[in-house]
Amino acid sequence: MGKHASSGKYAIVGLGVIAGPQPDRSERMIAAEAARLAIADAGLTRADIGGAIDLRRTGGGGDRANYSDAFTRVLGIKNNFYFTCGRGGALAGLGMAAAMSYLDRGIADYVVLMGAVTDWSQSQETRKKGFRGMAHAEKRGYWGKPLGDSRAVSHHSWMAARHMAVYGTTSEQLGAISVAERQWACMNPEAKMYGRPITIEDHQSSPLVAEPYHLLDMSQVSDGGIAFILTTADRAKDCARPPVYVLGQGFGEVSADLWWEKKNFTHMAVEPAKKQAFSQADITLDDVDCAQLYDCFTAEVLFQLEDYGWCKKGEGGAFVADGNMAPGGSIPVNTGGGLLSCYHLGDLTGLAESVRQLRGEAGERQIEDCDIVLTTGHGGELVSPGMCSIHTCTLLGRHA
Amino acid sequence: MNVNPQSYTVDLDWKKPYPSIDHDNEAFWDGLKEHKLLVWKCQQCGAVYWPKAYCQNHENEPFAANCEWTEASGRGKIFAFNIHHWAFHPGFKEEVPYVYALIELEEGPLISSQLVGDDLPTDIHKIGQTVEIVYEDHPAQGFTLPKFRVVRG
Ligand SMILES: [Zn+2]
Repeated sequence: MGKHASSGKYAIVGLGVIAGPQPDRSERMIAAEAARLAIADAGLTRADIGGAIDLRRTGGGGDRANYSDAFTRVLGIKNNFYFTCGRGGALAGLGMAAAMSYLDRGIADYVVLMGAVTDWSQSQETRKKGFRGMAHAEKRGYWGKPLGDSRAVSHHSWMAARHMAVYGTTSEQLGAISVAERQWACMNPEAKMYGRPITIEDHQSSPLVAEPYHLLDMSQVSDGGIAFILTTADRAKDCARPPVYVLGQGFGEVSADLWWEKKNFTHMAVEPAKKQAFSQADITLDDVDCAQLYDCFTAEVLFQLEDYGWCKKGEGGAFVADGNMAPGGSIPVNTGGGLLSCYHLGDLTGLAESVRQLRGEAGERQIEDCDIVLTTGHGGELVSPGMCSIHTCTLLGRHA
Repeated sequence: MNVNPQSYTVDLDWKKPYPSIDHDNEAFWDGLKEHKLLVWKCQQCGAVYWPKAYCQNHENEPFAANCEWTEASGRGKIFAFNIHHWAFHPGFKEEVPYVYALIELEEGPLISSQLVGDDLPTDIHKIGQTVEIVYEDHPAQGFTLPKFRVVRG
């Protein structure tokens, strides 16, 4: 089949990360500071940046969309284009696809993509009023709210429950995902849970939130920002840091191959995304050195391990319990600690970790000879009865 | 009319989120007040949708031209469920733990709601129990919520 002409034609050349509580900063200022760091990391100046893509998890009430066109002025760039993009946890995958089309047409030479959240700070405020979790995220608008629907955790825990009912997956097996990601986080000084290892017993004794989910099945509520710079491969060679090439990208929609009620709640839309991305890159699963799989909750990792084919459908529980995704396992997954133990900024979290692994900057958790990383995003609308629809697959490589 | 004798009235201040009633679903919420569970049905091919949708079986028809709201049986089977032990919204503090289920209606579509009654399922590995609608009336607020209970046998 051979590589697609687009494979290796574009590269990530700059990365900026702001992690940890940011109580006195707006999302706009966090995003701008992450962007500044990314531009500096690439060895560029603001004058080089021809366009900006603002990555937002614009779900529900739209609180996260509360910053406006002021962003590019705050950052101080003379941009040819600026727009917002994102569907739940599929921010970076979608944003990159758009950025590459601008680069392809010469509308910009370098594009900055950035996202920021103040979910943690906002949840501290709503806690005082008796709300728990991200009460600020969606104020109205979806079915089920008066019936006790807590959106993300309610819907995702149905998926886990359905997988358990159909395949006999156990809570302890889901716990193995949580434990493995914490092992990785304990090797990442930037992770929220650095220095705080957990065991299966800790997982089992953590409070039940929405059974089958315990607290330790759930991702972090975070503050922070991540930005990266994308450019063409020829320009990438002259940047300050080693380029991370985009080898392939694919997308899948659950609603595309099922009746729209989406009755299969035990898989994600991996198949078309995988096919597109892997055929562009002309590689197989065996070529992937580590994976950054979207992990809003534990079961999403299990579904993807099955759906990509690291194990058979229904066998994900045994696969993770055998330590396959943990340090030393057959396929290292979420090597920075993921959304479960590092910080939650959609698929930007996994993308940032992919860049670090491919540059050889991952310190104690560095995967040896890391040449190819698979990064996924997962998101869309969560309107009951339904599930996150989009799945994005991005294959990144150290060599074009 | 499919009136369930075990439906009940709650005439207190409403401290939880309000239902989101808009142009597309107003008829559905009006139906609940009359103790009818309405689904969106294609009069041409019989396909059933919930919420309101376009019939997938015809090309280039005006939007929803063949469909109308039709009363459903109010019965279905549990497709998956979870047990909420944690009240994210303070309005649910007194209710936890509660069972929140995804229900496959006899007519086909999935709907989600809270399960009520004495016979609540407890083992999430066991699904497929038959459930039936229970109407929870809130006359002071002007809406009725559709809840479900497990049917024995
Ligand atoms: Zn029809």
